[in-house]
Amino acid sequence: MAAQPRRGGVSLPERRSAPKSDSNILARITSSPIVSRGKQAACDAAFVSKKLLRSTGKAAWIAGTTFLILVVPLIIEMDREQQFNELELQQASLLGAPPTGPALK
Amino acid sequence: MAGLVPPGITTIPADASKTAHTKHEEKTDYMNLPCPIPYEEIHREALMSLKPETFEGLRFDFTKGLNQKFSLSHSVFMGPTEIPSQSAETIKIPTAHYEFGANFIDPNLMLIGRVLTDGRLNARVKWDLTDNLALKANAQLTNEPHMSHGMVNFDYKGKDYRSQFQMGNGALFGASYIQSVTPHLSLGGEVFWAGQHRKSGIGYAARYETDKMVATGQVASTGMVALSYVQKVSEKVSLASDLMYNYMSREVTSSVGYDYILRQCRLRGKIDSNGCTAAYLEERLNMGLNFVLSAEIDHRKKDYKFGFGLTVG
Repeated sequence: MAAQPRRGGVSLPERRSAPKSDSNILARITSSPIVSRGKQAACDAAFVSKKLLRSTGKAAWIAGTTFLILVVPLIIEMDREQQFNELELQQASLLGAPPTGPALK
Repeated sequence: MAGLVPPGITTIPADASKTAHTKHEEKTDYMNLPCPIPYEEIHREALMSLKPETFEGLRFDFTKGLNQKFSLSHSVFMGPTEIPSQSAETIKIPTAHYEFGANFIDPNLMLIGRVLTDGRLNARVKWDLTDNLALKANAQLTNEPHMSHGMVNFDYKGKDYRSQFQMGNGALFGASYIQSVTPHLSLGGEVFWAGQHRKSGIGYAARYETDKMVATGQVASTGMVALSYVQKVSEKVSLASDLMYNYMSREVTSSVGYDYILRQCRLRGKIDSNGCTAAYLEERLNMGLNFVLSAEIDHRKKDYKFGFGLTVG
């Protein structure tokens, strides 16, 4: 990058000769293979993680809605059934003598 | 128990069938095999658990019995209905209709008629001519041309076999026969000929049944292979799975589902290999008053169907 204007022979970059050494180091650092490879890796990681996040989100959405449809009503109904059984047992014990229903089971 | 709630629907028939089975298990008397299930109903248990009639929108059904044998039914449906289209997306149009029906039910004669406001008429007759021979007729009339159907079946029920002969419009003829081979296993076959489409076919079926499980298999020359398995976990719970394979179109679908019959409700749920999830809940609010919730989700097609309804009577 720094070599290009010199080869072109244009006087424009000459004016900035004072901070040249400073920018040169910066430019050298930024253009060094480690930094560029790191940048590439960071870019890739961001891309993959974004994709991963999106697909996990979608999977979670599908799993969640399926759960809501298939399992939640089942849990509610099982709970109701159990409550009902308990109530019945309670009433049978309160009434005392004729617990024929549960006794038969 | 009986004083609080109406007793469970399934308890008495389940017990009755269980005693019937144990009686046959004692000695394998091949002259006294039980009568098999009709050929067209061999997948009955699996269909009951895996194919609930899901709907979308509102539904209200009211049945009023005028006397012991005669009853009238009214039903209202409102909601979007799918219209068949070639494209992948489903097209839905909002519809509403009212259905009026009359039923006459007698031990050996059953007449059922239904009329819809859009002009469709459905009539069914089941008439037991003798103890063994029954006549069934089914007709569907519409005001669109070529969409009306009619079908007449003769069912003969033997001691350990059943046979059926059917005739329909469009020169459709069919016959089926099913025989109990052992107390648990029954085998059957069918032939059919559709004169209008110049097609004929043959099919075989087998059904293995114990009081804990039912397994069925069916093949037909149309390329269809259907297998199903139902496991009765307890008196209230059964789990079902099925597999459908079409040899011609190379399509396979399989599904698993559960069926809970509790005292206050019946809940059915299934998921199939296309990613389609469905659940159907029938809740008994009161004697003769049922509340129905239906849900079906197809993530692949982005087709979500939810419905609720009330059944009175």
